[in-house]
Amino acid sequence: MREKRWTIWMTLSVIVALLWTLVPMYWTLKYAFETHSEIAAFPPLIFPPNPQVAAFFNIFGHDYTLASGQVVKGSGQAQQIMLGLRNSLIVAIVVTIITTLVVVPLSYVYARLEFRFKTALLMAVLLSVSLPPVSTLIPFYSLYVQLDLVGTLTGLIIITLTITIPIVTWMLIGFFRNLPPIENLARIDGFSKAYTFIRIIVPMAWSGILVAAVIAFLFSWNEYVYAQVLVTGSRAVTLPAAMSGFLFQVPNPEHLAASLTISLLPPFFIAFFLQRHIVEMNLSDPVR
Amino acid sequence: MSNLQFALLVTVPVLCFLVIVVAYPLGYALWVSFHEVSFFGGYSTEWVGLDNYVAVLEDGDFWRSALLSVRFTVESVIFTMLIGLGLALILRDLRGRWVWLRAILILPWAVSPYGTGILFAFLGRGQSGIGTAFISLFGSEETINLIAANIVVEYLALGNAWNLAPLLAFFLLASMMTTPSRLYDLAAIDQINRFEVFLHVTLPPLRFTFFVFTCIITVLSLKQFDYIFTETQGGPGNASSVLTYQLYKISFVNLELGLGAAMSFYLLFLILAVTLGLYFFWGRREARNA
Amino acid sequence: MKKRETGMTRRGLLQSTAGVGVAAAAGVLGPFDFARAQGMDLAATSGEPIYFRGWNFRTDVVQANVERYNTNLNGKVDYATVTGDYPSIMEKSLIANADLDVLYANPSSAVRYYGGNWIMPVDDMPNAEEIKAGMYDNIREAWSYKGKLLGLSYFVSTRGTMCINTEKFQAAGFGEEDYPKDWPELYSMLYKLRDKGEKTPYLAHWFAEWFGISWGFVFEMMNRGGVMADPETHKPMMTVDGPAGQTLEDWKKIWKDGFVPEEVLSYNEAAYIDAFRSGRYIISPQQIYDLKTFNDPEQSAAVAGKIGFLPYQGQPWGLIDSAMYLMTSRDRPDAVTDDVKKFASWYGYKNEDGQIAVAERWMKENMLFSAYKEVMESDLAKETIQASISNPDDYEKLIEVYSHTPFPKGIWSVVWSEEFNAWLREKLFAFLQQDLSVESVITEANDEIARLNKKYKID
Repeated sequence: MREKRWTIWMTLSVIVALLWTLVPMYWTLKYAFETHSEIAAFPPLIFPPNPQVAAFFNIFGHDYTLASGQVVKGSGQAQQIMLGLRNSLIVAIVVTIITTLVVVPLSYVYARLEFRFKTALLMAVLLSVSLPPVSTLIPFYSLYVQLDLVGTLTGLIIITLTITIPIVTWMLIGFFRNLPPIENLARIDGFSKAYTFIRIIVPMAWSGILVAAVIAFLFSWNEYVYAQVLVTGSRAVTLPAAMSGFLFQVPNPEHLAASLTISLLPPFFIAFFLQRHIVEMNLSDPVR
Repeated sequence: MSNLQFALLVTVPVLCFLVIVVAYPLGYALWVSFHEVSFFGGYSTEWVGLDNYVAVLEDGDFWRSALLSVRFTVESVIFTMLIGLGLALILRDLRGRWVWLRAILILPWAVSPYGTGILFAFLGRGQSGIGTAFISLFGSEETINLIAANIVVEYLALGNAWNLAPLLAFFLLASMMTTPSRLYDLAAIDQINRFEVFLHVTLPPLRFTFFVFTCIITVLSLKQFDYIFTETQGGPGNASSVLTYQLYKISFVNLELGLGAAMSFYLLFLILAVTLGLYFFWGRREARNA
Repeated sequence: MKKRETGMTRRGLLQSTAGVGVAAAAGVLGPFDFARAQGMDLAATSGEPIYFRGWNFRTDVVQANVERYNTNLNGKVDYATVTGDYPSIMEKSLIANADLDVLYANPSSAVRYYGGNWIMPVDDMPNAEEIKAGMYDNIREAWSYKGKLLGLSYFVSTRGTMCINTEKFQAAGFGEEDYPKDWPELYSMLYKLRDKGEKTPYLAHWFAEWFGISWGFVFEMMNRGGVMADPETHKPMMTVDGPAGQTLEDWKKIWKDGFVPEEVLSYNEAAYIDAFRSGRYIISPQQIYDLKTFNDPEQSAAVAGKIGFLPYQGQPWGLIDSAMYLMTSRDRPDAVTDDVKKFASWYGYKNEDGQIAVAERWMKENMLFSAYKEVMESDLAKETIQASISNPDDYEKLIEVYSHTPFPKGIWSVVWSEEFNAWLREKLFAFLQQDLSVESVITEANDEIARLNKKYKID
């Protein structure tokens, strides 16, 4: 009886959680399947009356003929959207790799070891995350112009690393702390620190490391404030900056929704594989 | 190799990188905050001492924006914590053939702050929003608008939590996974109820994660700009023009770089003060307890 | 006596409504030879890239234009759109001396850029006199600052063309004879429409963009005959019992009576246009070229064919909203600067065949008006406009609205323009939301202008 009631509660909460998660996305992403007139309808439509996929063709520069015979023109923004997709992927992958390599040992050290100046050193690493981008944009920009880094992927990667490294370190520290105190045992066995770290801690913390990689990926995949100043209007434009063109000056909600949808695909696949991995981690409780 | 040496080995290169990249913009901002910079009728700079810092404090809009920032941040933290914990519990208990739902529940975290702003703008406006669509099903011609001066900050915080909660949930889940399952077995032997299990077995190992994320979400929310910019443009009117928005207008639109830099240092102090405060009053205790 | 902010003349366009044929003469002259005669060959020679940046409007058209130049005239023009907060981002590029040669800009931005010594005026082009002669006087004056013409014509529009949903208006029992003649009549019409059961008769120009609520105030007080600042000395000129004060009084009244949904105060331009396109509102000040969008069934099914506009009946509507192509004055070899001038001339004026091809294309595709007489007075323009509005017979009425539109020279042709605009936007929001008094807002606005004049040493 108790179990049954629990199942009902559980089902209900899953449904609420799914609605909470999906409704805000659905509400705008459905625009990708509507015409501009349908989007502007008042009162707003809950479902697309004649779902079609014109917008997905348009944002890549192709015209699309609706069932009604109406031709929907390809967007002139297509070139930037494609460039943006490519550049965003490059930036995100490079940032992810570097961040993960740097951050895993860093957060391990601050989570597990005791040494002098620990708090001070940690604060120093974390300080750069406290800088609001709005206040450093202009100096960054003039510095980059002098260094010829405006409109380059390198420039964007550098600046993104200053955000991802501290914040992912900070997040991972909590994760490492919760691992069982295994290195004391390892030390008794005479392992060196680096060896302990690589052969024992890293395999144990595998799920946390993956999460760290994904966070780094998302932070750089989604970065907009710096991108809109440093790479907008250049060959190094990223997807969020390219997409924002649909919002200003000329409204194209259907194109905006289509490109938002596309921008969600890579993170979605990553999240999908990640959750499978997390399930496997279920068995990794070494103390059991 | 001592602990300190090992720590320095991994820390110093990172620190050097951060210092090199951030030092110039920070130094420039500091320099400019003591100057008045003019671009028109010839570029000129003039030393004005602490004038900019005084001017910011005397500006009523600064205090209003600061209050809005704090309100947005506190609400974002509370919403994110509650929703994140709820999601984590659901993620943990999804079993068997429902496991794939996990990928869906963490999806909001894949949306950029910028994109979240767009989603919640369309969702909340009376013109295009879901509330209006819903009541129109029942023949109403009214609109339901959530972008209204008295509730817009709460609505923004809710959207921010929508975006950030799955991230927290994932870390809580990861921490839960490391909780030895024999503790649950013991709890089962003691026949304590689910709520007590939650309180005494599930929650304690999560406390440090909560602390870390309280800090992170505080910092992210105080710094938040693009999300608010796309969702409300600081509006309606001035109702959601938080500090970062004010800064953007002063430095970026008006080019009053000195004033903007001085204001951004107040924001930086606020961020540092809050995080240090959290560390001293909460974090240290958690660190000891661990 | 009412005084306007500018010495806007309206003879050019009124002439055009009288007889379209006359003007074609200029085109026959063969400007290709004309350009040759002035020693100007439009083909690029330096081999260096020219950086051309603009905001995101019909990028497909711009891209095609640029490709034509690159193919036909050996150009190496690098075109891209700049998204986000365009004027601020461009200003950063200019300050930093970034790679940028030709860009879009509104007049107030252009004045600011010129104040920063970042742009090169049209006067530096070899064919400057010819270009100037081809423009309407009022637009040329609006775009001139300290005696220099700042840029070439991209588009000209009446922002604040009073669009009206004729179907809904008639359904409420009103007809063309009831069209409001001026702002006070417009506001009393709102009450009449409400009495007929219309909940949302009016979508006010109070949105959150930098060209939203503040411009809404500027054009309304100008339409009522007011002047914000002297066009020459830039001294503040608003009075509490004059048009500025009356505008605010009326705003307070309709705001308190619930005519303007609060969310409008957070709208970006996209949301503002889509709100009117939904058919929910009856009257709204919009861009003149959006008449084409609203009457296009593919884009605006709910209102297409029903959107008319309030004609000129003694009081103008809106203000001149326009954009130019500017040339930067960044550090670059002279040969490249020559190429910049050539490309700007080709793109912003006439192509190698002597046609104002780009402007004509804008007219055809999006009904963008031009500063060039030759474009506006062509058959093409007339046909396009007639095909774009709900009633083709309204062509002359539309041109009349357009030709009466004022330009706020006093607050736009001055370096502090955008700072004042940002201030005004804030103050107007506060006026509505915090119920400030009309007197205090007008006094503070005048003080702010005086303060800015002092800051930038303008006497």
